[in-house]
Amino acid sequence: MRNIVTIALMGISLNLFGQNMSLQDSLQINSNQRILKNLAGLPQGITLGGYGEILYNNPENLNSELDVQRLVLLFGYKFDERVQFVTEIEFEHVKEVYVEQAFVNYNLTQGLNLRAGLMLVPMGIINEFHEPTIFNGVERPSLDKYIIPTTWREIGMGLSGRLNGISARYQAYLFNGFLSHNGENGLLKGSNGLRSGRQKGAESTMNHINFAGKFDFYGIRGLRLGLSGYQGKTQAVDGQNEIPGSEIGISMLGLDARYAYRKFSARGQYLRASLHDTDLYNELTGRDLGSELMGYYLEAAYNVLPFNKKQRLVGFVRYENFNTHHEVGSLISKNEAFHRKEWTLGFSYHIAPGAVYKIDYQTKSTAISNSKKGQFNMGVGVWF
Amino acid sequence: MQKNIFLLFLFLLCMSLSSWTPASHSDRESKYILKQIKKSITSTFSFDSFSLTQKEQLLEASPFLEAYSFYDIIVEEAPKGYVMVATAPSKTDSFEYLLLFDLNYKIKKVKVLIYRENYGGEISSKRWLSQFLQSDTDASFVYGDNISAISGATISVKSITSSINYIMDSIQKLKSQNQI
Repeated sequence: MRNIVTIALMGISLNLFGQNMSLQDSLQINSNQRILKNLAGLPQGITLGGYGEILYNNPENLNSELDVQRLVLLFGYKFDERVQFVTEIEFEHVKEVYVEQAFVNYNLTQGLNLRAGLMLVPMGIINEFHEPTIFNGVERPSLDKYIIPTTWREIGMGLSGRLNGISARYQAYLFNGFLSHNGENGLLKGSNGLRSGRQKGAESTMNHINFAGKFDFYGIRGLRLGLSGYQGKTQAVDGQNEIPGSEIGISMLGLDARYAYRKFSARGQYLRASLHDTDLYNELTGRDLGSELMGYYLEAAYNVLPFNKKQRLVGFVRYENFNTHHEVGSLISKNEAFHRKEWTLGFSYHIAPGAVYKIDYQTKSTAISNSKKGQFNMGVGVWF
Repeated sequence: MQKNIFLLFLFLLCMSLSSWTPASHSDRESKYILKQIKKSITSTFSFDSFSLTQKEQLLEASPFLEAYSFYDIIVEEAPKGYVMVATAPSKTDSFEYLLLFDLNYKIKKVKVLIYRENYGGEISSKRWLSQFLQSDTDASFVYGDNISAISGATISVKSITSSINYIMDSIQKLKSQNQI
C-alpha cells in the first residue's frame, strides 16, 4: 500500500508536458553552462562539481531504508596548461568520509596523459562512470558490486591516450592491489569475492604491483565497446606475506558495450575473474573464496518522451546473472546462494540534465529454488 | 628491493617524459596551432600557397565559445575560405578545435587540436567529427539525432555541438547584417 501511494505521488510530480525546447534553448541547457556559472565568481583554474544520490529501498516484508547513500564533492585545480589536479571527496551514508579520487593529470602531448595518484581502476562501465544520472536503476548494477568491487580505486600511475584516427582510447596503469590478509584474518570471501580487500588508498600496504588496462573503441556511431584487463597478486601485511596462502593471484577480463540511438539505448557487460591459489588461501584462513567469478548483464532502455523535450522519461529493463562461486577449488563446494539472478524494471525521469528521479522494482533470486525476493526502490540523483 | 628499482626506473621515465614534451601549446596563435591550421588547409583545399589574415572579432564570447581566432585564407590576394580556432569547455578544463569553412561558410573540416582533460577526449575521433561536415549552411546539429552520442563523453559531445551551433548561428546573423 505504502508503495502504491509513493508511486502515485511520483506520478503526480511527473511533468510529462515539460516545456517544448527550441534549438536555441538546447544551446543554453547543459551541465557545462552550470559549471561555468558556478565558476564565474571563483579564482581562475578552480573547478567545482559533485554528485549525490538519496535512496529509498524497500525489500519485500522488511522495513524500508532511507539513506543518503553518497554525496561526492569534486574539486579541481588547473596549475597551468598541462597540469591539473582532480579530487573527489565522498561522504557515504552521511557519516563515512572517503577520498574517491585524487590524482594529477599531466597532458604530455596531444592525446596522451600521464596520471598519478588515487585513481579508478578501468574495469567495465560503472566503476569509471558511476554518476547517478548516467546509469539506469536506483542502485548500481549488482554485478558492479560483487564481481567488480565498485567503486574500485587504488593508488597508482599510468598512461591514458587516444588514437583519433581509429576512434580508440587506451589506458594502462600500475596499481596497488587488494589486501587479502591483514595479519589476523583473510579478507576475501565467497559471498562478495574481492570486495572486502579494497585498500582505497588508506595506509595501504603493497608488496606486489598490479596491472590494469582498458581499450575502448567508438568508431561506430552510437556504439562504444570496451575491453578491460587486470592482472596481479593480492597483498598481505608484513610477516604474513611469508606464509603460503596469504596472497592469491588475480586475472580479470571485462567486455562492455554501450549503444545509443535517438530515444533507444542499451548496454551490456561480461566479466570473468580467475583467482589462483584459493585452496591454499581457504585452508589458511577458513574462508570460502571461489576460484572463478563470472557475471554478465544486459539492459535496454527507451525514452518515452518526445525527442525534442528537455526532459527524458526513460523506461528500462535489466537482467543480471553473476556467480562468485562460478568455480571453486577442491576444498570447498559451490554455494548455490552465490549464484544470483536479478531483474530490474523501472524508470529514470530526468527532470533536467543532471537531475533525475528514479523508481524501479527488482526481483532477486539465487540458484536455490524458491529464493525469489522482491525489492522496491526509489531515489533522487544529481550530477553537476 | 627489485620492486623499488622498478619504481625508481618508472619515476625517472615519467620525469623524462614530462620534461621532453614540446613547448607550451597554450595560446591559439602558438606554433603548434598554426602548424595544425596549415596542415588542415592543405589537406582540405588544393591551394599551392596561401596566407592567413586575422578577421575582425565580431562573435561574442559565450559559455560555449570562451575565446577564438578567426582568419581569412588568402590565395593570390583574394579570400578563398575561412578558418577558426575556438576554445570550448570540457568538464573540468577547456579544449581547442578548428573549423574550416569555404566562402559560403559551409563547414569543410572540424578537428580537435588540443584536448587536455582525461575524460571526454573521444570527441577527437575523426569519424565522429565528420558528422559536422556540411552540405547546407542552414542545418543545425542536434545531439542524439544527427550528431550521435558517445557514451562516456557526453559533456564534451554536448559542448562541441553547442559550440559549433553557436558559431554557425552567430555567423548567419552577421551574414544577414552584411557584417561578414
